[in-house]
Amino acid sequence: MAIIEVSNLKKSYGNLEVLKQITFDVNKNDVVAVIGPSGSGKSTMLRSLVHLEKIDGGSVRVGNDYLVKDGAYAKPQEIKTITSKMGMVFQHFNLFPHLTVRENLELAPKLVKKETAAEISKRSTELLGKIGLTDRASAYPSNLSGGQKQRVAIARALMMNPDIMLFDEPTSALDPELTGEVLQVMKSLAEEHMTMIVVTHEMGFAMEVANRVIFMDNGEIIESGHPSEVLSNPQHERTKAFLNRSLK
Amino acid sequence: MSFDYFVSILMPMLEGAKMTILLFFVSIIVSIPLGFLLTLAVRSRFKPLSWLAQAYIYVLRGTPLLLQLLFICFGLPMIPGIGEYLVLDRFVAACLGFILNYAAYFAEIFRGGLLAIDKGQYEAAQVLGFNRWQMTTRIILPQMFRIALPAVANESVTLVKDTALLYAVAVPELLHYAETAVNRDFTIFPFVVAGVIYLLMTLILTLIFKWVERRFTFE
Repeated sequence: MAIIEVSNLKKSYGNLEVLKQITFDVNKNDVVAVIGPSGSGKSTMLRSLVHLEKIDGGSVRVGNDYLVKDGAYAKPQEIKTITSKMGMVFQHFNLFPHLTVRENLELAPKLVKKETAAEISKRSTELLGKIGLTDRASAYPSNLSGGQKQRVAIARALMMNPDIMLFDEPTSALDPELTGEVLQVMKSLAEEHMTMIVVTHEMGFAMEVANRVIFMDNGEIIESGHPSEVLSNPQHERTKAFLNRSLK
Repeated sequence: MSFDYFVSILMPMLEGAKMTILLFFVSIIVSIPLGFLLTLAVRSRFKPLSWLAQAYIYVLRGTPLLLQLLFICFGLPMIPGIGEYLVLDRFVAACLGFILNYAAYFAEIFRGGLLAIDKGQYEAAQVLGFNRWQMTTRIILPQMFRIALPAVANESVTLVKDTALLYAVAVPELLHYAETAVNRDFTIFPFVVAGVIYLLMTLILTLIFKWVERRFTFE
């Protein structure tokens, strides 16, 4: 059974339909790259999975539970449980500026999960090593580079032991020379079989790491499939046009 | 001008400065939390509460503090029927006036602090599973207070100087004793001494806030 199932997802801002009947599912261990022009609804779609956007119709199932079923949301407490299965990484990192790197990692597990300080600090030490920032544990975010901030943000999300990781244009706010280090961390996550949905403009990453690509345009999924199909041999005119533009 | 004369005018002025300092601390300790509550009230989803808080801030910021002090000290007791129960000790009345007035200013300062916090902070906290209370106390308030700090410092310095308004409601404070000495001895010297004492108070306050700002710089 798919770990995420989205069907007929609809959302409008006033008269503007930003998502029109979006349907797709994600299997466990999938790495799904969502591509498409700006304003195509990719981020809105991703954000609606963790309840940062309220949708107007359709269903979202995560694991065994429905976040929304036929437009009706679960109870607040259930919503919390369902969204806690997902970790989210934002384009602009959204680290807590008044906390050190280690505190950024440990605050949520401390407050939200009932774990001992020892368990939490063991995991944060481990994750800091994994993202290569052990020596920056006591730095504040303002003293980190963009790439370092995003790595910390990934570690912070992983601290909650999510089943699924969502990435909303994780490298779009970075200088080009800093995207590599972030993509590397994401790649190693994929190699550990983390289920991931990545909204991205990095075609190289989609090609190399994703096992599925979804192309969205104008609030619709136009085409989806294996990267070698969608990226190398697109069937749809709009996909071709987009790829032509973005590969230039 | 003898040293003895200097001491003879300085002593009562320091006595008066005590009153100034007391008023300062009472006002700041009560008006900052009160101002923060007002900020929350303004942002409340319960509209009547929000309107009430906005009206309060508008009136208290839109009229002179001196008028408010005179109103509380001399105006309230004139209200037919209940006036006789509203005769307050002058100092208490003055404290009340300062607290009510400064709370309105602090409310605006904190509101500005809240507006300056990126919405991504709320989203990150939500996605990590924080409840409202945890989000407010651990993520939003610390950042709000840090952003508001320079403006709070500025307002506090203004408060020190505003304490001189006690003069108008005849509570003996620093300026009152200086004025008395000036009239009695026909010399400008006590005014200079008073000025220096105010400068010392604001200097100490400024240094304290500078220290706090450095302490809470997240770099």
